[in-house]
Amino acid sequence: MSGWQGIKLSLISDKRYLAPVRALVRESATIVGLEQGDVEKVVLAVQEGLANVIRHCYKDQPHERIDVWVTFDDHEFEIQLKDYGEFVDPITIKSRDLEDVRPGGLGVHLMQTVMDEVKYEKNEAGGTTLTLRKRVPDQPPQCEQGEHDSSEF
Amino acid sequence: MAIELKREEIGDAYVVSIQGSVDIYSSPELRGALKAGLDKKAAPLVVDMGGVSFVDSSGLATLIEALQRVNGYDGRLVLCSLSENVLGVFQLANLDNIFTIADNRDAALGS
Repeated sequence: MSGWQGIKLSLISDKRYLAPVRALVRESATIVGLEQGDVEKVVLAVQEGLANVIRHCYKDQPHERIDVWVTFDDHEFEIQLKDYGEFVDPITIKSRDLEDVRPGGLGVHLMQTVMDEVKYEKNEAGGTTLTLRKRVPDQPPQCEQGEHDSSEF
Repeated sequence: MAIELKREEIGDAYVVSIQGSVDIYSSPELRGALKAGLDKKAAPLVVDMGGVSFVDSSGLATLIEALQRVNGYDGRLVLCSLSENVLGVFQLANLDNIFTIADNRDAALGS
């Protein structure tokens, strides 16, 4: 694989639609060559990002718009989540102390732990664009036709 | 639905078996199933996660809530049959040492 590849989709902020987005991300991350464990980590990060948009930005309202870009090349897998609500100041977004065991507050920690980069930016619509990046490990060189040891056959 | 839940009473134990994804969408349904066992003060309350393919922070929060209620009546909450992926999420959140996690249902019921 070489060059830019990507998928864009828009969904409403209905929690039921997170499962199909997870399936798309899982398939895309597999195609790009991420290891199985990393694929599931990326899926988890996207889930947490979308859940935060629905819960905190849209206050569980199910008909608001979310745009998802999944882009990848040989070196990097990137997901951008764009919402159209109020910008969330990154300073206010922090994970809780893991020693303080209580419900809630884990989503940001999970995203930051499993991704190589997590970035929040104000977008042109006034909302927040969350960018999640994961490096793609170098692929082993492909075996060219005719390079096989004839003794294998 | 994103999950299917099965409830069983086995002696003093209350077992909730889950099939599917435990996420922000399905967690309220799981919370309802666990509440029945918590209201009975079941000991142990066993959550069989052998059929769980995915869990997010909402799922973890639901289980933490249940653990806090169980601790309130000196009961026991035991999770069992976690897949490698699901266990990995607990580990990422440092929760694998907070919950009692059994390899399988028999071990959970006997713990």
